[in-house]
Amino acid sequence: MEEKSKTTNVKPKKKDPRAKLKKPNRIPMLLKSSPHLRSDYSIEKIMRGVLLALLPTTVLGVIFFGWYALLMIFVGIVSCVLTELIFNLVSGKKFKLTDGTSVLTGLLLVLTLPPSFPIPGVILGSVVAIFVGKMIFGGLGYNIFNPALLGRAFLQASYPVKMTTWTLPKYVGADAITGATPLGLFKFEHIMTNIKPLILGNIGGTIGETSALVILIGGIFILIKKYADWRIPLSYIGTVFILGGLFWLINPAQYPNPFFHIFAGGLMLGAFFMATDMVTSPITTKGSWIFGIGAGIVLITIRLLGGLPEGVMYSIIFMNGLVPLINRYTRPKVFGEVKK
Amino acid sequence: MNKSLKMILVLTIITIISGSVLSYWDSFTKPIINEYKTNKLDKLILEILPEHNSIEELQLGEHNLYIAKQNEKKVGIAFKVEGGGYQDIIAMIVGVTPDFSKITALKILSQKETPGLGTKIVEDPSNENPFWFTEQFKNVQLEPEIVYVKNEKPSKDNEIQAITGATISSKAVVNILNTNIEKVKKMYNEKQ
Amino acid sequence: MPHKKHTLLQEFLKGIWKENPILISLLGLCPALAVTVSAENGLAMGLAATFVVVSSSIIVSILRKIIPPQVRIASFIVIIATFVTIADRFLAAYYPDISSNLGPFIPLIIVNCMILGRQEAFASKNNILRSFLDAVGVGIGFTLVLVVLGGVREILGSGTIFGIEIMWSSFHPWAVMILPPGAFLALGLMIGASNWLNELGEKK
Repeated sequence: MEEKSKTTNVKPKKKDPRAKLKKPNRIPMLLKSSPHLRSDYSIEKIMRGVLLALLPTTVLGVIFFGWYALLMIFVGIVSCVLTELIFNLVSGKKFKLTDGTSVLTGLLLVLTLPPSFPIPGVILGSVVAIFVGKMIFGGLGYNIFNPALLGRAFLQASYPVKMTTWTLPKYVGADAITGATPLGLFKFEHIMTNIKPLILGNIGGTIGETSALVILIGGIFILIKKYADWRIPLSYIGTVFILGGLFWLINPAQYPNPFFHIFAGGLMLGAFFMATDMVTSPITTKGSWIFGIGAGIVLITIRLLGGLPEGVMYSIIFMNGLVPLINRYTRPKVFGEVKK
Repeated sequence: MNKSLKMILVLTIITIISGSVLSYWDSFTKPIINEYKTNKLDKLILEILPEHNSIEELQLGEHNLYIAKQNEKKVGIAFKVEGGGYQDIIAMIVGVTPDFSKITALKILSQKETPGLGTKIVEDPSNENPFWFTEQFKNVQLEPEIVYVKNEKPSKDNEIQAITGATISSKAVVNILNTNIEKVKKMYNEKQ
Repeated sequence: MPHKKHTLLQEFLKGIWKENPILISLLGLCPALAVTVSAENGLAMGLAATFVVVSSSIIVSILRKIIPPQVRIASFIVIIATFVTIADRFLAAYYPDISSNLGPFIPLIIVNCMILGRQEAFASKNNILRSFLDAVGVGIGFTLVLVVLGGVREILGSGTIFGIEIMWSSFHPWAVMILPPGAFLALGLMIGASNWLNELGEKK
């Protein structure tokens, strides 16, 4: 996922072919293109960091929803890694078992699923995420859309009923009570959920989106470690807050307050861990701002004016599709380039 | 021969031949198509309307009303209504009592709702009676307008139960019925 | 385009795989995507298009020396439209259910670029026998892809094939496959698979 490290734009290190040609009468001269400074970021290292940041959310999800959630996570990760392995074997590519990106995709996919989702569905989503979402585009670094979200979108369209059957966390009431998510309650029944349970997480929702606080901790960790661009979550959540706030100021009776918007649903998880995916987000800083603001506008439009209660997945996928265009128009000028 | 004259001539001849072939073909297939169409509509209308021995047709605006009569007494009216659903137009045939006070039957003609969710308005495989949604409209009062309730059994005469998970489609059906029946009722009363 | 002379058999076979209208030329994708929610729909659409392409190819080939080049497209369209209307009315009269399933996509065969393409690129330049063989080949190629595409979407999206249940009872149909995204996904993967097969064939 993070082949192009944004800070330095490193290309994979290659041995200079000329180093092999030993011509005794010549002084060896190595010509290399920039960049000459390299950071010590590698895909594996970033992946380990992001997975570590997701650990608290994952553990909390398992605590809330029980061992079945753990089984789902396990199945999701194994299916993703296996799909990548099989594709590589069949297409005869050089590969490592995994560089961690498939593990992350599998984990993120399961974290966005309802806690009682059937296991065959988890496998299907993982296969689609890796095969359609990543491998057929050419593998890591070439995919247009976030693979985990693509897998989820496929499941959403395939199993619309199962994807909206929510089990409440254990500590809310008896085991396995079905209930709606706070966003669903707001959209269809016009019931507002208090902010406190949203932050702590004892609400209905997907495995990974229940507690905004725990996601925030992991999110801040990856921002400090610079595994993700801070501009994207900031502009994304900020836009949602401001736009949601505008609607709320105009008509507080009909629209929820902006704090509800940023803590409910999958916004935190999406903003920190999915929108920031290095492959599918813009490479320029200006582009990152555009990306985050655009996703925020789409999200508020879906939540308040559209037919669905939640729009994090579609808002990010939509902006993923625009990334090549954003990159093109926000490309910094080459020194000396004349404005056209 | 003049070039442009040839162009005109060839195209005209092709068009004339095409036209005559088609008009022959149409005269051949049209009766069959019409017969099928009326059969299909007749069957639905017959299912919708209560027992009767004659049907009178009445054109009101865009609506075609079928008024069933039993011994010269009006026993029911059926007509087609349509409006926007979740994704596309939902078309239905609705039967009402002659005074437009309640619905006697409802059939969905066509819809393109989300498979597995919105399509439950036509058939709900998870319920022991797959057609419970449309059937519950039977004897629903139209004064005041129909309202839907969720996750509970309807308690009043003008209430119906929405499908869990397909509130938008359920709401669309109710809205289409409310606005169209009101409109037809107004036109019908003016006519009388 | 300069046309290498094929044998009559090659003329017939090329439309089925080597120059398949959908998989290779990417023509006629609109009906291929829109109506293939079931194998039955795919078959009906394919047969209707085959009928139209074969009949119009014959007529265009007969008239190829009479039609002035300036009005050729207009003439082709009138000829195609005639056969499409015949097919449309025929379906409406004898197979009303299929006709209502396919909806506006039967009349839309008129503007199907695969059919106009055959007239412009082939029938207007070749004799009747060759045009006929070419059209039949293209028609069969089109129909095959539509049936396979419709079949895949029907099996995965409804768990049936030609209306017969074939999947195990606990199989949950993937609703997405009978929705528009499923059409793009399935067709894209089919085209990818056919390219892959061709590549494998060339390597050997």
